[in-house]
Amino acid sequence: MKNRLKVLRAERDWSQADLAERLEVSRQSVNAIETGKFDPSLPLAFKLARLFGMRIEEIFEDSGQ
Amino acid sequence: MSCSIKNSAQRRFVRTCWMSAGLVVLLAFFAAAAFRLWHLKGLPAYPVAVLPALPILWVLIETGRYLAAEKDEFQRNLLVQCLLGGIGGTLAVTTVWGYMEDFARAPRLDLIWVYPIFWLFVGLAWPVVYRRYR
Repeated sequence: MKNRLKVLRAERDWSQADLAERLEVSRQSVNAIETGKFDPSLPLAFKLARLFGMRIEEIFEDSGQ
Repeated sequence: MSCSIKNSAQRRFVRTCWMSAGLVVLLAFFAAAAFRLWHLKGLPAYPVAVLPALPILWVLIETGRYLAAEKDEFQRNLLVQCLLGGIGGTLAVTTVWGYMEDFARAPRLDLIWVYPIFWLFVGLAWPVVYRRYR
């Protein structure tokens, strides 16, 4: 699933490790989500949305549309 | 679960695996010595024979506990894929070998090898799964 994580992370000057620490997941997890190779669960997507102060659909692109 | 250990659930799981491996060796030596010294037969032989299998059952239970305790869903997903690789590989090898035993008189494969074969395939699945997410 396409997403804006890399851009949002760069805007805040966070590394993948920084974001991983905030989400309490591994850096590999952040990388896999960021590159669209792994789709996060709803709870993790909500956690991301809360962290960036956005709605889920503002971060993730619904490829079915 | 990546090669480097990141959290307490992973640490606990890895520690369990090492402890179990040590216990299997110890208990296998104990069982072998017990059978040699006391020539166990019949009912008393069963509990002693089962002893080396107990740490293996422990690891299987701990694998389930680790999957339940791992909060990182991506790492959990990786391990599940590797375990599926292990199950698939083990089923494939034992099924093919079973038919070879039946029809081609291939040497008998002891059931004791099923567990190492399973983890061998988990290990083989590991780099394949990881490469997918690199």
